[in-house]
Amino acid sequence: MHMDGGDSRYEVTPLIAAAHELKAPLALVRQLALRLEDTHLPKAERQRLLRQTILTTERALRLTSDLTKSARLEDALFTVEPINPEQLCRDIVAELTPLFEAYGREVAIEGRKHPLLLVANRDLLRRILLGFSDNALRYSLPGTAVHMQIKAFKKAGIVRIGVRDYGPALSSDMWRSLQKKLRHAPQTIHARPESSGLGLYIASQFADAMNGRIGAIRHKDGATFYVELQASMQMSLL
Amino acid sequence: MTRVLVVEDDTWLADSHGAVLQNAGYEVETIPHPLAVMDAIDAVLPDVIILDVLLGGATAFALLNELQSHSDTQAIPLVLCTNLAEQLAEVQLEAYGVKRILDKTTMHPDDIVAAVKAVAE
Repeated sequence: MHMDGGDSRYEVTPLIAAAHELKAPLALVRQLALRLEDTHLPKAERQRLLRQTILTTERALRLTSDLTKSARLEDALFTVEPINPEQLCRDIVAELTPLFEAYGREVAIEGRKHPLLLVANRDLLRRILLGFSDNALRYSLPGTAVHMQIKAFKKAGIVRIGVRDYGPALSSDMWRSLQKKLRHAPQTIHARPESSGLGLYIASQFADAMNGRIGAIRHKDGATFYVELQASMQMSLL
Repeated sequence: MTRVLVVEDDTWLADSHGAVLQNAGYEVETIPHPLAVMDAIDAVLPDVIILDVLLGGATAFALLNELQSHSDTQAIPLVLCTNLAEQLAEVQLEAYGVKRILDKTTMHPDDIVAAVKAVAE
């Protein structure tokens, strides 16, 4: 055991990382269920614990679904199509709002005056953005809003969708560790402070499958995780 | 009244620990980010600290070193509450003030009360 948290003896496979990532929600669900066994709990508290149990289970199931999808990426054919990212983000905001509200946070989209289209597989892009949003929920401060942002880089023909959270600034060490996670497979459990990087690894695989890439921007009050994909030329042909 | 500081970045788990401890008669403060822990300790010196190991922004190990470096905090008994319990040895952490290790994956909510009671006495 190394007290500096830098033990690199363990090579963590995606399987081990997945087991580790699922431990936290399963442990939480178990704690909530054990508390629900208390017959003296007030009704409102019982309802709150039940709601938390359901939402935590849904988060864990999203991860298992992403893992399955990620493992089968090479065997599958993906249809890419022109997609309006703003509409997709609106759907995601609607889906995640109950979870964010239960945690005392908001999720919102920064709308655009002029609509954009990008080329992507709708399901994979949705999974990437759900993963970024889940990550933002964890690292944002209570009472803050997570923002989904869409930006066009016209010269490069790229559209970037970012998920911006507002929380404590990332230290330089954490930033370097994060950059590693963006480039490589899941890191050793002891080499990272709070997550195995599995979510980023999966997001990176999904982006690769669509000829896109993921990245991160460090802010003094949080971070933005983004995915970049090819812009669709369809609008310009109209 | 015994003051317990819960350092846990999962809000709902922190709430759960807090509710169980308050029901048992303890004064509880929860802190989600390790960066805020030293400020919280400066404001009110706790009698016991419940500490998660994997925290957003830092590991508990950095905090253990920090707590050991101050004369007024090095004697505060610590209870680690973690998903990594099977990888930690209590005997190796004694020097850092760790008196108990609770495994989140197997513990009962009331175990946290028993642990606080045991280390606070």
